[in-house]
Amino acid sequence: MRDDPSVVDLVVRARHGDARAWDALVDRYAPLVWAICRRFGLGGADAEDVAASVWLRLVERLDTIREPAALPGWLATTVRRECLTALRGRRHQVPVGDESNLDSVDDPAFEELLLAQERHIALRAAFENLPEHCRHLLTLLFDDPPAPYAQISSSTGTPIGAIGPTRRRCLDRLRRDPALAAVAGVEQS
Amino acid sequence: MTDAEIVAALAEARKAAAEVPERIREIGRAAYAWRTVDAELAALSADTDTPVGTRAEPAAVRALTFAARDLTIEVELTDDALHGQVVPPRPGEIELRDRSGVVAVAQVDELGWFVLGPIPRGMFRLHLRAGDAVVVTEWITI
Repeated sequence: MRDDPSVVDLVVRARHGDARAWDALVDRYAPLVWAICRRFGLGGADAEDVAASVWLRLVERLDTIREPAALPGWLATTVRRECLTALRGRRHQVPVGDESNLDSVDDPAFEELLLAQERHIALRAAFENLPEHCRHLLTLLFDDPPAPYAQISSSTGTPIGAIGPTRRRCLDRLRRDPALAAVAGVEQS
Repeated sequence: MTDAEIVAALAEARKAAAEVPERIREIGRAAYAWRTVDAELAALSADTDTPVGTRAEPAAVRALTFAARDLTIEVELTDDALHGQVVPPRPGEIELRDRSGVVAVAQVDELGWFVLGPIPRGMFRLHLRAGDAVVVTEWITI
């Protein structure tokens, strides 16, 4: 897995004691941690234990991470291992189903989950880099069904005729973000 | 990806982030306070989670090795205690720490041996002070 250059900056700042940079790393990767916990059927206190253990390991690794770009892959492996440990502990009390597929190193479904998470991370990072008016406009379009143009127009102060072109400009800008450069398939088609 | 597809992908990515329980992030932010800057990290370099003994005696001994730059800490975990050795041998003091702090302290003898216990449930780590060396191991989860 690859990652965008801003992660390098966050890791370096967190290494030098910048707690806000650390918080940003947590925000960035919390969905990855949670998604893998869910994949292993863990929630509540179990997922919190896994998360605690993963974040503590990441804290102590800060100084020795040479390739911040490899961070998502390292995190995924660590979360998975902690989930398996949690499941082993739980097995003493509650029988769990066949785990053989969860234990497998070459698990195509797990690889797929990772790729999807990587894409999510990059998309969110690129979105955060957009100017405020773009984020506002796109958020209104996220609604399912999307907000009517008339409503978007009054909410953003953009004339109805300009919404389409503005949306396109914002999305083009998103596509050009370095965070997304590492992710295949987002080019305009 | 078309514009519609990228909007849909963005919406999905943001929804996934919104579904993460706040506790998961809180725990993450709090973890930063555990940063140890005064000690060298000894990384787990071997973990033989191997059952030993006969079927009639199903005791499992887990052997772990933590490697720092100039020394390694080898430990064996039994049901009630942690037996370990600092290699190369050097005397010092070793602490067993869990997430709440120091839970046990032991002397490391001239041969590098030490015994710590009882072993806490959940996560713990070792903190060694021996001569000039201050070493902290990675977290271990039992």
